[in-house]
Amino acid sequence: MTEPRHAPHPASAQAAHPHSHASRYLLVWGVLMALTATTWGLSTVHIPGGAGVAVALGIAGVKGALVALFFMHLYDQRGPNRLIFVTSLVFVALLVLLTLLDNATRFPLANPPDAETTPAGMRAGMEQRPAPARAKPAAH
Amino acid sequence: MSGNAALAHHFESLEKQAQAQRLGMWLFLATEVLLFAALFAAYGVYRWLYSAAFAEASRGLTTWLGGVNTFVLVTSSLTVALGLDAAVRGNGRRSGGLFFLSVAMGFVFLGLKAVEYQHHFASGELPGKFYAGHLGGSGGPLFYSLYFLITGLHAVHVIIGMTVLTVVGVKSWRGAYSAEHHTPVELAGLYWHLVDLIWIFVFPLIYLI
Repeated sequence: MTEPRHAPHPASAQAAHPHSHASRYLLVWGVLMALTATTWGLSTVHIPGGAGVAVALGIAGVKGALVALFFMHLYDQRGPNRLIFVTSLVFVALLVLLTLLDNATRFPLANPPDAETTPAGMRAGMEQRPAPARAKPAAH
Repeated sequence: MSGNAALAHHFESLEKQAQAQRLGMWLFLATEVLLFAALFAAYGVYRWLYSAAFAEASRGLTTWLGGVNTFVLVTSSLTVALGLDAAVRGNGRRSGGLFFLSVAMGFVFLGLKAVEYQHHFASGELPGKFYAGHLGGSGGPLFYSLYFLITGLHAVHVIIGMTVLTVVGVKSWRGAYSAEHHTPVELAGLYWHLVDLIWIFVFPLIYLI
């Protein structure tokens, strides 16, 4: 408590007189539990279009940010650690978005023939395929 | 300055050593994030191509088990964070005890996961060519391939995390760390929080379609 609130490295947890983060942890935990209940509840409501995924990912993003910032202390850490984590997230976004964009913008027949995005006339029929037969475990 | 056994000779101070260790841990966590990102990318592509089948296949999952597991994992993250808080103030016993509590919650998580897997095995909801569920086409088998890959890899991380927490918890309990030196407690905690962080994304994507 002898330290000013914004000492050079306040939560570099090795500080000489650390103050307790317990109340902050409990608050973050409460918000995380509430957001989990929210996203669970929202999943039972039908949200039109692709908005449902966007809402679910948005809530997950907020929860993830809370964990990273406060449980993992990125909030009060030095630059390099934050930079490393944020950089990894940039590459996650690049990998997921570019791969998705590739499949979303292909000539339809370049995707699997029974994909739901393939126009109905070109689709290898899901109906015609005797699905359970090919998947049944071998009889003894 | 050479009096502290925890300080490696090539570091000037414990503070600098802790910073280097923290940086190394974050680099490792970044690679873990990228490991899971590959699976999430595959999930994104196949959910795009088979969105209706994915939604239908996801109904085979017991949502409340996934939801309860989310609450369990988030709470275990809290106890790990509180464990670090105790370690920062030099209370190794309390820190170790809170880590053991987190490990116990890890067991609850894995137990519920085992119940789920058992249910899938019984109803033929298996990955790839082993799929014997009711869905025709490739959507169902693909969903369960990704389901087992993502939750399986995550479960492996839970087991590793529980092992790390146990080892560090025992050392903490025996008084190996102090208010000045407790970086292992912090790094073990970081790993566990990452496991929690990944599950936070798994839950809505896999269970709540």
